Amino acid sequence: MRSRNGNRPFLFTYLTVISTLAFGADHYYIGYRLTAKNTQPINETLSVSKAMQPCHPAKPSESITLKRFNNEKLQTLLNREQTAFLEFASSNELRVKSNDNFSVTNPQTLNSLTLPTSCYAVEFNDESVTITALK
Amino acid sequence: MRISAALALLLTVPALHAGFFAPDSSSEPQVKCVYSGTDGHCVEPILKSQNELVITVVGQGVAPSVTASPAQAYALAKRAAVADGYRQIAEKVRGVHVEGQDSIKNMMLMQSSTRTSVEALVKGANVTNTTFKEGLCEVEMEIALSYSRILP
Repeated sequence: MRSRNGNRPFLFTYLTVISTLAFGADHYYIGYRLTAKNTQPINETLSVSKAMQPCHPAKPSESITLKRFNNEKLQTLLNREQTAFLEFASSNELRVKSNDNFSVTNPQTLNSLTLPTSCYAVEFNDESVTITALK
Repeated sequence: MRISAALALLLTVPALHAGFFAPDSSSEPQVKCVYSGTDGHCVEPILKSQNELVITVVGQGVAPSVTASPAQAYALAKRAAVADGYRQIAEKVRGVHVEGQDSIKNMMLMQSSTRTSVEALVKGANVTNTTFKEGLCEVEMEIALSYSRILP
């Protein structure tokens, strides 16, 4: 027969798991910009910065899990897995700006893609990193 | 008897041609043209409340002449192609700002230039197909527009 306080250890474990999921992830600001001139990329910048304070309101949405090698930093990991991350992040929103100039002597096109800097919850594991977009 | 049957057949054929006996298609969502091009094809469909409008574009990108590896050339060409695809989507959805300037001196055209620009925030575009051949990367992108996506 279970005692009156028999459910307390289970409740404690449950609350611990929930608090780990909610507060264990670090918050990072990530932004991206690509400039292409005449259909050739000329500049590409991926900016990563750890948030000094947790992002509010932090409502989680889609997430992606990337492989991590030997405790590498987020910037290094994102540089390696840039294509996968951009496909994940660009599905939310992406700002495009294009300026084309057509003249007889010098036709020129300039496109720039900007992923607006936004907050992501990053959970570091031993061999993987889970990045969750926050809205 | 034969005459009445032949008469009925004669009356039925024009009626069928005019679509009187065709099934009622008003219940099915259809995409109508705003205007038609010179070849008669639909150019600009209307977004209606009951249907979804899918816009498909093909973006092109070229790898830089100097790259560290073929993989890097592919990745960079694809980035440029995606940027071109996003530009085309923005042009179709948002519209293009066009500015032209002609300089004429002594009744002769001296200089002509056209500037186009577009700026937009695109949400929900997807890359559906990618091909890379002889340094040219082509990505097929699509975006689905509907009232539920536009109006929160």
